[in-house]
Amino acid sequence: MHKFIHKLIDRLPLDFRILYRQFLLRVVDLEALSIQADVVGFLGQFAGVLIMLSLIHSLVTYIGFWVFSAPAEHLAFCWHMEHYLISTTMLVIGLITVVSWDATFPDRRDVMVLSPLPVAPHTILLAKMAASAAVSGLAILALNVASGVILPLLLGVQPGPAWGFIQSLAAYWFTVVAASAFLYCSVLTIQGFTSLVLPRRIFLRLSAFLQLAAFGLFLGVYFAQPLLTDPVSLADPRNHWVLASSPSYWFFALFNQLNGSWPAQFSWLASRAWIALGLAVTGAASSLLLCYIHTMKKTVEEPDLVPGAGGLHCLSSFGNSLQTAVALFSIRSLTRSRQHRVAFAFYLAFVFGLALSLLRGEMAAAAYSPVSMDLLISTFLMMFFAVAGLRNVFSLPISLTANWVLRTTQLRPSEDYVAATRRSLLLLAVVPVWLLSFALSLRFRPIPHVAVHLAVLALLGCILAELCLIGFYKVPFTCSYLPGKANIQLIFWGFIIVMIAFVVPAAQFELSALTVPLKAAFMLSALGALFWALWIFNRHRAKSAVIYFEEIPDQVITTLGLSA
Amino acid sequence: MLELQHLYRSFRGIPAIEDVSFQVAPGEIVGFLGPNGAGKSTTVKIITGMLRPNDGRVLFAGQDIAKDMVAFRAALGYVPEEAHLYDYLSGLEYLQLVGRLRGLGEALIEAKATRLLKLLNLESWQYSPISTYSKGMRQRVLIAAALLHDPKLLIFDEPLSGLDVVSGRLFKDLLELLAAQGKAVLYISHVLEVVEQVCNRVIVIAKGRVLADARPADLVKLMSLPNLESVFAQLVEQQDTRTLAQEMVEVMQIGRS
Repeated sequence: MHKFIHKLIDRLPLDFRILYRQFLLRVVDLEALSIQADVVGFLGQFAGVLIMLSLIHSLVTYIGFWVFSAPAEHLAFCWHMEHYLISTTMLVIGLITVVSWDATFPDRRDVMVLSPLPVAPHTILLAKMAASAAVSGLAILALNVASGVILPLLLGVQPGPAWGFIQSLAAYWFTVVAASAFLYCSVLTIQGFTSLVLPRRIFLRLSAFLQLAAFGLFLGVYFAQPLLTDPVSLADPRNHWVLASSPSYWFFALFNQLNGSWPAQFSWLASRAWIALGLAVTGAASSLLLCYIHTMKKTVEEPDLVPGAGGLHCLSSFGNSLQTAVALFSIRSLTRSRQHRVAFAFYLAFVFGLALSLLRGEMAAAAYSPVSMDLLISTFLMMFFAVAGLRNVFSLPISLTANWVLRTTQLRPSEDYVAATRRSLLLLAVVPVWLLSFALSLRFRPIPHVAVHLAVLALLGCILAELCLIGFYKVPFTCSYLPGKANIQLIFWGFIIVMIAFVVPAAQFELSALTVPLKAAFMLSALGALFWALWIFNRHRAKSAVIYFEEIPDQVITTLGLSA
Repeated sequence: MLELQHLYRSFRGIPAIEDVSFQVAPGEIVGFLGPNGAGKSTTVKIITGMLRPNDGRVLFAGQDIAKDMVAFRAALGYVPEEAHLYDYLSGLEYLQLVGRLRGLGEALIEAKATRLLKLLNLESWQYSPISTYSKGMRQRVLIAAALLHDPKLLIFDEPLSGLDVVSGRLFKDLLELLAAQGKAVLYISHVLEVVEQVCNRVIVIAKGRVLADARPADLVKLMSLPNLESVFAQLVEQQDTRTLAQEMVEVMQIGRS
């Protein structure tokens, strides 16, 4: 088999093979993920995680299938698992489209490097498409490798065991591939037509925000969309708009239609899947074709340098000059570096989606809701993830070779640098989450309870910021070094696990304190004292600290490994 | 103003510089010359405080810079050899960052940065990201950043790299004016013709050791050679470049039938 595949690959033109290998390295946005060209290792780990998920899914499906034996419960469970597996596949493909954002379209580097070479544009297009398809295919296969067999096996009992299984299996795999193709092609269509309509410079700026918007949308929809996988919810007219606007339900219906297990009254949902798939594929094909005809020419013709527009000049003061310098440097690094933006958005989108799903009921209610565990837990989690996520992102260096300027201009004591970093943490994580929590709290009453909770949240944000500053003697985005060479990812996830374990009892305590003024005063005083102690501790330690800078540049050469 | 005393630095036991000593007085432009790998960058890194010497010391205004690095950095303007900048910032934003890090007031930064960018012909591109700048434009941003705080000591490492003819001439005039204002200038370059024109004194370093420290005209006269380039070639025992070039052409032609 291995030899056969190699023979097959060897029959492909050499220029296609070389470009395919090169584009495969770039399908995954190296800049966004900061994986230092170890794409093979990254894909292996990625597939491993998905296979593990698939095994867990199949185990849950198998157990649930036999546990829920009552007909109504059984049907609801089966439909829930079907929808869950399809929407999870769509989410994974959605996230792949985010990290491989510009991979299918010709960029300036491709045009400038490949144009002088004897390579036809259609070879570039096909190689890029093949590379994207390879990564997406790997993801679909890995995520469904076990569940994509178990679910059809359990469902395929009608009309006869063998035929039913084959029908379910074919229906399932067709559906997950179709749903993934729909999502991928929709993103390509939007990107393609935007690049055709807008001037290239504006498109490039907009593209970064589109990428973030898509990221938030995929995660937001996945977590926030209501569960309507039972006949009663599906038939409820109040849910019509949700069903009509949610692609995961269209493809859930498509699977059941192909499987022959779908009530005729909901066939309109399956029809939507077919129409959406047709439109997305047609849109992607035409926009890609037009892009390769027009954009490549536009890219060559565009000037190397055009005047830019002034940016954050109105926001020129965030304290003293060092604090302003570090804060603006942090804001600009975070907003202009795709790697940092996507990494931070990952932390935010995940927890904000979770928070929104927790507060869905209260937000939709006509009357004010009492301050609840949901509000406390969701705002705590948002604060934890935002502060810890930003601290994590601060440790991703942005341009090591440019750090010399910070070293040669280090004119102030190290505690001033720690204070400037503190201000950036507060400004970029604590304040936005607090403001969002304030906006969410407007739906809750009584006002004194809300006010106490907001005070608690502000103090908690400050305490978390101080915790993150322990041992953090560096300017954000300039250094990945940690004392003791600790693994930042391990620290981050360890911190999150500890915090999640802490969230529920903390929320229970706060909820009980809200009704007892003395207890509330004690809680606020204790938090204030803790914050003050941490602040003193950090300030004292920073006085004798040395600010670290890293100046070893990244490896820039990658090999294609085409030689035997 | 700047005095290097017996600097020694090794990497993994291999000496990069040995017994490097020289001075740069206020109002003086000193050329620092040497072939690739001679130890120029190591010396400059030690002077700028980015590297510590294994032995020897650097004095500024009579004080060891290691004892008060902050005061030294405040007086130093530095243009590095490679134009490494934060690419996603615009030229103006970069100068603002440097000005703020140096503790200059907002109004002063604004006035100086915009004026310098205008004088260096970067006004139209001041809001464009540096990633779109040419090498010469990046070099001009670095020069502006080095001048922003009116330093007493200036170190220019290959400042003409990427600059066009007009900018190059402007820079030479600038050097002379800076020296006339009493600034001490250490000028590192491979363009010996310019060094000969603008420097009061040259220091030639090779294999980590100072080989010569004299006025360019005195060196030329002493060694009875036509120009500084010939002096440099003889001092650092450069190989016969013509023979080397011939060998390269021969390698290129290997396999030609």
